[in-house]
Amino acid sequence: MDTVQFLMDGFATALQWHNILFALVGVIIGTAVGVLPGIGPMSGVALLIPVTATITSGMPTEAAAASSIILLAGVYYGAMYGGSTTSILLNTPGESSSVVTALDGYQMAQQGRAGAALSISAIGSFVAGIISLIGLVLLAKPLSNLALEFGPAEYFSLMLLGLCAVSGLAGKSVTKALIMTVLGLMLGTIGIDAVSGIARFTYDIPVLYGGIEFLTIAVGLFAIGEVFKTILEREVDEQPIAKINRILPTKQDLKDSAKPIARGSLLGFFIGVLPGAGATLASFFSYITEKKVSKKPESFGKGNIAGVAGPESANNAASGGAMIPLLTLGIPGSGTTAILMGALIMYNVQPGPLLFNDHPDIAWGLIASMFIGNLVLLILNMPLVKVFAKIIQTPKKYLLPIIIAISFFGVYAVQYSTFDLYLLIACGVFGYLFTKNDYPVAPLVLALVLGPMIENNMRRALTISNGDWDIFVTSPLSLLFLIIAVAWIVVPLILKLLGRKVVINEEE
Amino acid sequence: MVKSFDKISGVVFLVISILFITGSLQISGSAYGSAVGPKTYPLILGIILGLLSLRLIYETFKKNTESQKNEKPQMKYKNLGIILISAILYITLLEIIGFVLSTFLFLLVAFQVMEKGKIISSIIIAAVFSIGVYLMYVNLLGGTLPKFSLF
Repeated sequence: MDTVQFLMDGFATALQWHNILFALVGVIIGTAVGVLPGIGPMSGVALLIPVTATITSGMPTEAAAASSIILLAGVYYGAMYGGSTTSILLNTPGESSSVVTALDGYQMAQQGRAGAALSISAIGSFVAGIISLIGLVLLAKPLSNLALEFGPAEYFSLMLLGLCAVSGLAGKSVTKALIMTVLGLMLGTIGIDAVSGIARFTYDIPVLYGGIEFLTIAVGLFAIGEVFKTILEREVDEQPIAKINRILPTKQDLKDSAKPIARGSLLGFFIGVLPGAGATLASFFSYITEKKVSKKPESFGKGNIAGVAGPESANNAASGGAMIPLLTLGIPGSGTTAILMGALIMYNVQPGPLLFNDHPDIAWGLIASMFIGNLVLLILNMPLVKVFAKIIQTPKKYLLPIIIAISFFGVYAVQYSTFDLYLLIACGVFGYLFTKNDYPVAPLVLALVLGPMIENNMRRALTISNGDWDIFVTSPLSLLFLIIAVAWIVVPLILKLLGRKVVINEEE
Repeated sequence: MVKSFDKISGVVFLVISILFITGSLQISGSAYGSAVGPKTYPLILGIILGLLSLRLIYETFKKNTESQKNEKPQMKYKNLGIILISAILYITLLEIIGFVLSTFLFLLVAFQVMEKGKIISSIIIAAVFSIGVYLMYVNLLGGTLPKFSLF
């Protein structure tokens, strides 16, 4: 009963007119972000943090945090809807989680069934979104109650597990991913030490005393980095876009995709809950599963609707599932949720078990708004899919410089210092270089967000144990987390040595 | 390119880790009342990065014989260069000539670098964006952005 009551209160928050507006704007921008190739959900969310911070600046902190997180989460799952559009119409996925959608989706478009493919992916995404939200509602209370029992040692190990999981699955080389993680942790130590008040690595430069701002790094590495990449590698010739004739799927289509949608949703949800494994892996696994259970596996890749319905449901369910560790444990499992977490921390709201007790408005308001947002997305995507398809044609000539200008404005409005703008440009260059050379940047951002908390919990635990490092292995839960963390790094390495092909998670 | 970048970055990361270790050793020791001071954690990080960068260097030299992939031709380094320089000029001028003018100039230059021509629509879009953002932020939301302040 408790949960239902909280959820109703959440709807009261989410149904305030400005929050409906925020959810609406969020999912529309999210869909656009998903449609535009080159801007993934991660840079979309990073780019919008300063913008939302500006818009909500006049509101009380609590309400401002609720409204901005509603908008930012809307961008996140909205992008999952939008990503399928370009996969199907252009054969160029708007973001990595829609790569497998292109396999069958583009074939369907070639056969004149683009409308059916698009609407099935919208319906699948909607069903998956709702299923994962129900999972979130059911798991939120028990998980956060469990997490309340955690001491600093357990938290330290759990965060380490989160970092290892993301690094272990990110990119081609574990070494490079781990290097990026450690770099992020190092950046997090710059500034005044929260425990002792001693300045570390500031070299008497005043701007460094406050620490390196997460926002600047995230916007620089993702948004600006991607813009630089697109400027450098721009292809002049534009591909023709497949025509959309009939939007509604036939009864046969619906019948064929009902089971894949259900399977994809459940699979995606559980993969999303796991740290490190995100929407990309979820859609990939769903595709493999559909191919295995199908009676006609040879029809995959030739326009089988199950190959669109399954993965599209899975990636949306995964993005919902990924909210669970973020909200209940305070551990983001992917790059995008790390950025969402950074946004919450900017508003002085600490995600984690206490979120549901201290800020029920934010936690439940967000969950309720996701129900509304998913409904809006379904309504938007069915009739308006032709309009969104037009966004693909936005000339890059105008789009890219305006993205740079928006990032500059956003970062300057929040930080009010030109130092952060220079840092932004530098991060953009590094972001481009790193991604180009297979250094995944998501672990860096995740580590930057988690770093200070990892250190605090480590020192708290060591203070409790009087400096005895055994505390991390004598607590059974902490030991369990550490073992899983090590396994996450070691098992893929062993599999690689055995010559198995290991699925890796691309940036999302 | 990936291989040579890895070699350089491996060395750079090693240098960073050494600097980080020496830097963290200079931080004063134990804080009052707690067993672990502010230097322990950065010290551990520095050591881990050092080990990882050694591993990276080892990996790159081991794979050295592998053939390198051909890079895509026609990289538009010139375009990116101009946009980078104008972005830096934009930041420098932002607090001198104000938000509207500097944003307008930056966008105009960047639009033209991306694709020459259509100068009138470039001017209109740049002007609408810079003036629009300024008016919305300053008048509607009550924020402040740098104004023209040469005098």
